Amino acid sequence: MTTITERRDSAAPPSGAPARRTASRRMRRRSILVGWSFILPNFLGFALFTLIPVIAAFVLAFMHWDAYNPPTWAGFSNFVRLFGDDNFHVALSNTLLFALGHVPLTLAISLGLALLLNQKLRGIAFFRVAIFFPYITSLVAIAIVWNMLFDPTSGPINQFLHLIGIANPPGWTASTAWSLPAVIITAVWRDMGYYMVLFLAGLQAIPQEYYEAASVDGAGRWRQFWNVTLPSLRPTTFLVLVLLSVSSFKVFDLIFVMTQGGPGRATLVLSQLIYQDGIINGQFGYSSAISLVLFVIVLIVTVFQFRIQQRRER
Amino acid sequence: MKRSLIAAGAVTAALALALSGCAGTSSSASDGSSGGKTTLRVSVWNYKQTPEFKALFTAFEKANPNITIQPVDILAANYEDKVTTMLAGGDTTDIITVKNLTDFGGYAQKKQFVSVNDVAKSLPDDKIPALDDYKSDGTYYAVPYRQDFNVLFYNKTMFKDAGIADPENLTWDEFAADAKKLTKGTGADKVYGAYIHTWNSMVQGFAAAQQNKNYDKPSYSWMKDQYNLTLDLQKDGTIMNWATANSQQTSYQTMFETQKAAMVPMGTWLIAPLLADAKAGTTNVDWGIAPTPQIASGDKVTTMGGPTGFGINKNSKHVDAAKKFLKFAAGPDGAKAVASIGIVPAYHSTAITDEYFGLDGMPQDALSKKAFNPDVIRPDGPTGPNAAAIGNVLNQEHQLIMTGSKSVDAGISEMESRVKSEVLNQ
Repeated sequence: MTTITERRDSAAPPSGAPARRTASRRMRRRSILVGWSFILPNFLGFALFTLIPVIAAFVLAFMHWDAYNPPTWAGFSNFVRLFGDDNFHVALSNTLLFALGHVPLTLAISLGLALLLNQKLRGIAFFRVAIFFPYITSLVAIAIVWNMLFDPTSGPINQFLHLIGIANPPGWTASTAWSLPAVIITAVWRDMGYYMVLFLAGLQAIPQEYYEAASVDGAGRWRQFWNVTLPSLRPTTFLVLVLLSVSSFKVFDLIFVMTQGGPGRATLVLSQLIYQDGIINGQFGYSSAISLVLFVIVLIVTVFQFRIQQRRER
Repeated sequence: MKRSLIAAGAVTAALALALSGCAGTSSSASDGSSGGKTTLRVSVWNYKQTPEFKALFTAFEKANPNITIQPVDILAANYEDKVTTMLAGGDTTDIITVKNLTDFGGYAQKKQFVSVNDVAKSLPDDKIPALDDYKSDGTYYAVPYRQDFNVLFYNKTMFKDAGIADPENLTWDEFAADAKKLTKGTGADKVYGAYIHTWNSMVQGFAAAQQNKNYDKPSYSWMKDQYNLTLDLQKDGTIMNWATANSQQTSYQTMFETQKAAMVPMGTWLIAPLLADAKAGTTNVDWGIAPTPQIASGDKVTTMGGPTGFGINKNSKHVDAAKKFLKFAAGPDGAKAVASIGIVPAYHSTAITDEYFGLDGMPQDALSKKAFNPDVIRPDGPTGPNAAAIGNVLNQEHQLIMTGSKSVDAGISEMESRVKSEVLNQ
């Protein structure tokens, strides 16, 4: 701590009487302490429940540990095993497919809803609330209800499909081909309200003058959307894209309640594999290695998105 | 400013580390004995809804006035995960209730329990057949207090109405034939001849137990007949579609109590809720139990089941008192306490059986009494150190076979190759 203050002093301008100097030093130290006290409670929680476990997971990825006996050094063997592990390949491709379906669909639908509900209409607040509602509903309830809706024989969805003349509707959560789409549909339905609110905030920040100027120039609604709305929304779109991608790659709860990764391994995702290999099979080193890989994937995707955003802004 | 922030961060992180280091030791501060009285802490699940724990604890405290039992209540659905986390963190809860043999495999492999050879030796092992399930490498690490096994619950009224004889000494083929005859109605009025629950043990477990097969050897062709039989019943609508039962989270208890299924192969744990619901008036089903159908005809009844037991945490500070409790729970006194509330104890004797059938609402016919004493009870799932990992593969492939995503042959060969590559070669 002393080194800090010394350094700060040497960086301070040499002018001023010694008395003033000690006073300002005391002031500065006080403000630093005040600053710490503001950060401390939050940081303590963050360190205890996030930072330390994350660091521990990084170290554990290079060890064998059953959570009971002392860990033993494993070198890169966990990672070598990863590349030959069929479960990992299945979970990785399912996670990527989930993100590929979930991110663009949620983005498009929540933007569409925001545009639709960004009007001065009577009762518009009701519709906004109605669409936001799934997001604050218990996820377990959502998963159970959608499971019933998706029931292949007596579920309302397939009965409706029968009614409109589809003889062989998909098996949804009971079929290996359709269970991932079923989970994606549920996830989009749940998340669209939240991202719609973000888009609504973005839309309402666009100055009305832009549209007036555009219409004076003879731009139609479509043209206005492409040349005014979308470019002005870019910061919001970027934020939504990053949040959505990160949450897609980390998806766990919805799938865990809805399908438990099944049927078979059709909806097994990385987060669930981490849980399964760690908590259930007691291989905490190996599951840490998987979580490290997931971390790197999310990091790369996010950095990539930031790069593109920076290039666009230039 | 930035540099001081980093320094502040470092200081806080160090503080946090020190704090978290303290947290591990503080839990052992209370050693639980004061004034000659010992307090034993026992991990249990859903204490209020699982009356057997209270029955056992009260009976034990009465017999041992200087020992108090304090339940550590854990939500049933998270029980295994929570106990794993607790034990890994050095928790000192004295006695751990072992929910099933899969979990026991994990605890024994990780050497988390104290050896209880002396307790096991002091118990009459001829009266506690499940005792040997808790032996790992020649050492006992737990003792059973409860022994559930599968029987065939059947609806007496439906059998009478259809003019079918009570399901005595059935083979699986005869079971299927009876089930087909008992199926009637469509849509909301549909009554299934039988209900096979979604668990993989409901197909694989019966096949393994009745053919005395072990899951550790990755060659599972012995499951084939049982799968074909079940899929055949599913195809013609005699049993509820697996996919429907799974997506609707169908309850076997509801299926039987609301008379939507005439026969339900299920564990004896269903008896206590049936008695309770009949008493409360929420069901009026006239039921009985019969021995589980067999592969070949004959008099010998082999079924699957599993014990529930108690093990002593190696971090316990009261091993002697804990051993006293284990001996009590696994012996005749514990058996009497759990039998009085409709739970099947691990300790068998005529007196206990009589007490059990003396419960209000228990069927009194000879067939039910016969079903209560099967000749052989084998484990209802994988056991040993790889139990959880093997069980996971078997369950995933079970789903694929039951939903028709894979043929029986393809599913079984996938089980074999996956158990080999994912479990045995790791």
